[in-house]
Amino acid sequence: MGYRSSVEILTEWDIVAARQLGRNEAKEVGFGTVDQARITTAISELARNIYLYAGKGKIEIERISEGGKFGITIIASDEGPGIPDVRKVMEDGFSTSGGLGAGMPGVKRLMDNFKIDTVVGEGTVIKATKWIR
Amino acid sequence: MNIQVIIKEEENLIRGFISGEIDAFTAPILREKLATVQQKENLHTELDMSEVSYMDSTGLGVIVAFFKNVNANNGHVKLTGLSPRLKRLFDITGLGEIMDIETDDKGGNI
Amino acid sequence: MPQEIERQYKEILKQYVTRQTEQNLYAGQNFSRQLIQKNIAPDEVISIHKVALEEAFPELPMVVWNSFDLLIEMMIRYGLAHAEHQSLLKKQEELKVEMDLAANVQSTLLKTTVPQVDGLEIGLVSVPARNMNGDYIYFLSDNLNNAGVAVSDVIGKGIPAALCMSMIKYGMDSLQDAATDPKKVLDVINRIVEKSVDDDMFISMFYGRYNVEESIFTYATAGHEPALYYNAKQGEFSELHAKGLLLGVVANVSYEQHAVTMETGDFVVMMTDGVTECRTDEGFIEPEIIMSLIHSLRDETAQTIVDTVFKELEKMQNFELRDDFTLVIFKKTS
Repeated sequence: MGYRSSVEILTEWDIVAARQLGRNEAKEVGFGTVDQARITTAISELARNIYLYAGKGKIEIERISEGGKFGITIIASDEGPGIPDVRKVMEDGFSTSGGLGAGMPGVKRLMDNFKIDTVVGEGTVIKATKWIR
Repeated sequence: MNIQVIIKEEENLIRGFISGEIDAFTAPILREKLATVQQKENLHTELDMSEVSYMDSTGLGVIVAFFKNVNANNGHVKLTGLSPRLKRLFDITGLGEIMDIETDDKGGNI
Repeated sequence: MPQEIERQYKEILKQYVTRQTEQNLYAGQNFSRQLIQKNIAPDEVISIHKVALEEAFPELPMVVWNSFDLLIEMMIRYGLAHAEHQSLLKKQEELKVEMDLAANVQSTLLKTTVPQVDGLEIGLVSVPARNMNGDYIYFLSDNLNNAGVAVSDVIGKGIPAALCMSMIKYGMDSLQDAATDPKKVLDVINRIVEKSVDDDMFISMFYGRYNVEESIFTYATAGHEPALYYNAKQGEFSELHAKGLLLGVVANVSYEQHAVTMETGDFVVMMTDGVTECRTDEGFIEPEIIMSLIHSLRDETAQTIVDTVFKELEKMQNFELRDDFTLVIFKKTS
């Protein structure tokens, strides 16, 4: 397992802390400016969802490497209500993003890989990975 | 394309106040609100439609479905405050005969 | 990020900064078209710009580079919104294709032939407000002595309404006899609909049958707009009323049935509420307007009358249909 760091999400300020951590890690791993911004935005979205819907949770950042490639994995986890209809949440449209392009589909677009594990009543774990191009 | 539905639960009576337009776009909102009410047994309900400016057949469908459901659960539905145009719609469809309807007697003819 | 794009952008930037001609801007916009086609996000474009600027003018103050970092951050969301927009456009195209297919299936399935009987002209126009028509016309005729028509409005729109219509069609198909009484027709359809249809789907229907031998038009309605009867001799309209509940509400309904003897030049106008509920910005188009329009066309053929009325009402509503528009005329010509 690569180097892991994390931030607990409880208040809105924690979202900023998670962003900062993400940006630092992305810079260390070697991502360019734009990708740093994208990773940070993805973390921001995920942390905000935890803050708004689960009340509290955690953002972990893990440095990864495979066959000479380097990258980063964001793990957003909470013990919140869970997501009842994942397909719906992944659909583009006003109901998920308010027309802003954000939400889960947005995070999926910002990163390379994206996986949701959720159990209603127990919580959610979202893993998103990005590799240096 | 605006609608507002307010449901008030009194002693033995559920009052619904509907205002705005009931058409294909707003009817689902009305349906949802009425759905929260219609499951109970022996309901006495009154829908005040005096502030409804327009209703088309989709709106009619929602009201009739509500009527059917409430009746199936041994309840009663009364509609009040219907404008002449709305009353005509209920008369033409024959629903005026099977539903309890009170018109809006603010004056004015069809 | 292909080096080629960065190189080209740097070239355009240099040109513009030095010369600032309209030609440079035009070149720039053409280039942006390429970028959009290659799905290059807005934040990436700004990054390209920053890199190009750094290479060409490295002596610029730190504040400039910092400001670009902020701009990149801001543009990421614009990029996401744009990507979502593209995705939705594509989805919309796919839905449109499916809808067109469905509308095709619908019109094939529900096709009905206009009866040919002596001394009766039939005009018909039925235009959906959107893709699928919620109004349904069905002719039942032996092409000899009886010409019947069912004009119905399925309450509820779109695909569920269209599916409901198939049920009406098959119900009507089962009534082989063109001489069947209108009230019987309604009874049969009512039972089918009440049993098999969703709680909030209802159908209003007017059924009329013209008997050639006796020149009698018999009719019954189920919660539908009353038809209009035009008396040629008196030059006046009257409404053809008949009591009857909407189809699909209650299983046991008795329908009133009436008849009227038609004289040459008389006609029956049957419609759905897409006609009576026509609206302009000022309010509803009053029935008197529609009646006087039809009156002015009384000597035309049935088809000409319906076509003209439709065109006029369409124009009055600024070519926007709020509801499916259906108009059928039975005109006695001899």
